[in-house]
Amino acid sequence: MIRIALVGCGTMGETHAHAYTSLEDAKVVAVCDIRSHHAEALASLLGCEAFTSYEEMKKKADYDVLDICLPTYLHSRYAIDAMKSGKHVFCEKPIALTLEDANRMVETAEENKVTFSVGHVLRFFPQYQTAADQIKAGRIGTPALLRTTRNQAFPGWSWENWYQDLEKSGGPEVDLAIHDYDWLLCNFGPVTRVYAKNLGPKHPEQMHTLAILRFASGAMAHVEASWALPKGIEFRTTFELVGTDGQLCYDSTRDCPLKTQLGSDEEVSLFYDNPLSEEMNPYRAELAAFLHAVEHKTEPVVTAAEAIAALHIALAAKESARSGKVVRL
Amino acid sequence: MKESRIGVVSFEHMHALSYTQQLLKYPEVVLVGIADEDEKRGKEMAAKFQTTYYRSYEALLDEQLDGVIICTNNRDHAKVSIAAAKKGLHILVEKPFATTIADAKAMLAAAREAGVQIMNAFPMRFNPNVIAAKKKIDAGLIGEVLTITSINHGKIPGLWFIDPSLSGGGAVMDHTVHLGDLIRWFTGSEIKSVFCESGELLHHKGIDDTGLVMIELDNGVFATIDCSWAHHTNYPIWAQVDMQIIGTKGVIELKAFAQVLHLDDQTNQCFEDISWNEEGDEGLIKEFVQVCATGKTPLVTGLDGLRALEIALASYESSRTNEAVSLTQD
Repeated sequence: MIRIALVGCGTMGETHAHAYTSLEDAKVVAVCDIRSHHAEALASLLGCEAFTSYEEMKKKADYDVLDICLPTYLHSRYAIDAMKSGKHVFCEKPIALTLEDANRMVETAEENKVTFSVGHVLRFFPQYQTAADQIKAGRIGTPALLRTTRNQAFPGWSWENWYQDLEKSGGPEVDLAIHDYDWLLCNFGPVTRVYAKNLGPKHPEQMHTLAILRFASGAMAHVEASWALPKGIEFRTTFELVGTDGQLCYDSTRDCPLKTQLGSDEEVSLFYDNPLSEEMNPYRAELAAFLHAVEHKTEPVVTAAEAIAALHIALAAKESARSGKVVRL
Repeated sequence: MKESRIGVVSFEHMHALSYTQQLLKYPEVVLVGIADEDEKRGKEMAAKFQTTYYRSYEALLDEQLDGVIICTNNRDHAKVSIAAAKKGLHILVEKPFATTIADAKAMLAAAREAGVQIMNAFPMRFNPNVIAAKKKIDAGLIGEVLTITSINHGKIPGLWFIDPSLSGGGAVMDHTVHLGDLIRWFTGSEIKSVFCESGELLHHKGIDDTGLVMIELDNGVFATIDCSWAHHTNYPIWAQVDMQIIGTKGVIELKAFAQVLHLDDQTNQCFEDISWNEEGDEGLIKEFVQVCATGKTPLVTGLDGLRALEIALASYESSRTNEAVSLTQD
């Protein structure tokens, strides 16, 4: 039985907590959030102790794994601290805000011989997994043109609105597009050039990134990620993958099994649901894969090196947008 | 309305068929003749449209004409346009406007000197769905435009389209101009810089078939154009023009060719999307007929053609250098 402590009980912490409830070989023994009601809510779900201080949790609780669901700017500090006390670490994506921080996390994990992985959960989403399987089976031939989108309204609901602070979230390249960067790198190999634009600080609630990537294979990608859509619009992801022998497409708002529309005189709202059984829950799958690596001392499915590679693309896109120049990797 | 005497030079580009059909809708238009170097094709078309066939375009231009529609290969647009301008004819030339900046400027100069109108065939400007989007943007419905993503996918054409010496280039030349023109029209701004990744990645026909272009405009808007001939043979429809326009107050998603029926075709073992779209060609030719009758400045001009061509040619330059290219306009 692997004992887990969860720090950060916001949206992602809650998502992880629900996933743990159906993982048999894992037991969450402590949860921590400086907002006591958030910590207590998850503690009652999981039947464990709630803390409002990380230091106190570290002192009082006995655990093997620290699961970090904190805002990005806090990832490296808590990951490194936990690794130094011999804990395995699962950290929400992105790994960190800078390559320096990310590299220190990897070095610390190696020095302390602990397992370290990052929540690049897209790989565990069945539609992305199926696409990867089809590509590996040669169904589209040699991949040539890859388009991904990940668009939503500004996530104004975050704690202290930390997404809006580029120093804390890194913006849509580092927080949002990084999902697709990781998935593209994982399936189509290394990137050689990045050219990108973004919406600057003039529009603090409308962040948006467009990037064109060129792969060593010769393929090219168009990666769009947005926090610029109007409030109330549903989160939408798409991909369109064109190769020499075929084209593979997905659109979460078109290929959706359950749409609910609610109306009143004032407004209409539309919800897109993609219900999955507990076994297919991608967050459960990523945590199960991580715990399997911890238990069997094997390399995790998502390696720290891969998380760094994705961050590298995100930072290159930001640098290209800032300088107006092509960034070569 | 005053009679307009119009000739058509070449059916090398198949759009000539639709343009000529549209011309016949106007009782005031006299289709004087069809010139085509390909005698078989030219005679066939002249018979179809019950008009006179001319082997050489010069012979057709020697007739009493008010205007001419030019649908040769892209390289020959300049030669025929300049000859037509010298004869004092209003001109509608297929897109892309030309294959080099020098040719395009010579065409504009010839039209200016002769005092005739030269119009570039951008039918998307006359597509009712595109016009509706433009009206919403102009009405301020989505606030200030911030960024645009656009896709013009299609199947790879054949014949001279895939011979760079006649077409001036592949997918980047063929498709960038349409969306480049619409982005300029929607934003009312000119292009400042162009970056492009392109290549021959899909069809192995010896010409660029895949391209992603990023442009920045003078007003700070940035936009991408996907100009790839990305559709394979069995794709249910030829043309796809999609645009997402994000503004400070909202977003518009335009699918200009979404008006289709979906046919499951057991005989041909395929799916086909059957369009019930209104053609942009209709408005385009209506506009040209008015230009011929009145000499008015067309809604889409030769200068628009040059500006769109500049984007396509800068895209090729960027693809070669792997750097963004700054555009300076004179």
